Amino acid sequence: MHSFGYRANALITLGVTVLALMCAMASLSDNLNFPTPSAQVQVLNVNWFQKQRNGNEEVSLTLNISADLQSMFTWNTKQVFVFLAAEYETPKNSLNQVSLWDGIIPSKEHAKFLIHTTNKYRFIDQGSNLQGKEFNLTLHWHVMPKTGKMFADKIVMTGYRLPEEYR
Amino acid sequence: MMPTLVLVEFIWVNIYGLGLLFQKILRGSTVFKVFIALTVSQTPQASSNLLAMDWQGQKLAEQLVQILLWAFAAVSFGTGYVLGSFQMMMLIYAGGVFLTTLVTVPNWPFFNRHPLKWLDPSVAEKHPKPQQQQAVSSKKKPAKK
Repeated sequence: MHSFGYRANALITLGVTVLALMCAMASLSDNLNFPTPSAQVQVLNVNWFQKQRNGNEEVSLTLNISADLQSMFTWNTKQVFVFLAAEYETPKNSLNQVSLWDGIIPSKEHAKFLIHTTNKYRFIDQGSNLQGKEFNLTLHWHVMPKTGKMFADKIVMTGYRLPEEYR
Repeated sequence: MMPTLVLVEFIWVNIYGLGLLFQKILRGSTVFKVFIALTVSQTPQASSNLLAMDWQGQKLAEQLVQILLWAFAAVSFGTGYVLGSFQMMMLIYAGGVFLTTLVTVPNWPFFNRHPLKWLDPSVAEKHPKPQQQQAVSSKKKPAKK
């Protein structure tokens, strides 16, 4: 500690190390939070259901997506990324997931919402698998921290079905 | 954030290395020599290194750095956690680092309360330095493990 530069270096290095420790502790504190989210999706309307010239099928849906994700926000949460995926089984693939809508929730106040929308991303499948298909709508979320570990989870909502015939 | 901190430390270490190089160049320069000549005449005691503290002061400085930083870490984390505000934790901690820098880095007088008593030059001349012997006894012994 015999010179200005020596002391400044020791101080800054310890300062940054202690800061890293605090960030690790902040991330660990997220494990003390037990979120209780809820979500519901209504398929208000199947706008159209067509077979394209290239052999793909496409569906357009109007959805009411409502959720309460307030309990997953902690002091260490930067934002929550949430997306809605349609999940179904085909003879070729045991699991198909198609993302229909996503959004970023920047704060706790915005975490309780009702969204009325058509699907943001196209619901397309190759082949002729979607007629009369039963599918789940799963709401996935990623809790993105300010520092540390990211948590991801989902709610699966079952009981949705596509029409038998194109329209 | 942690990878960012590791990167910050890496960059800081390199900047510090460059700073040491800069110091070496600076100390050899004429400007610095003039500065020392002007200031040393005012403070005959601390002529060897103007930015030095005495030994007790150095120990105190090290202790203060540890105590202040850990205390501010605890206070800032506790406050941030209780208030639910990450920003509050960062602000308090940043303030704490700044305060610690102000207290421990400059060469304040309270770091020099136990100055070393160097011999007066006139007395030192009467006791010449021992001559370097080229005998067997001066051969360096290998370090014991």
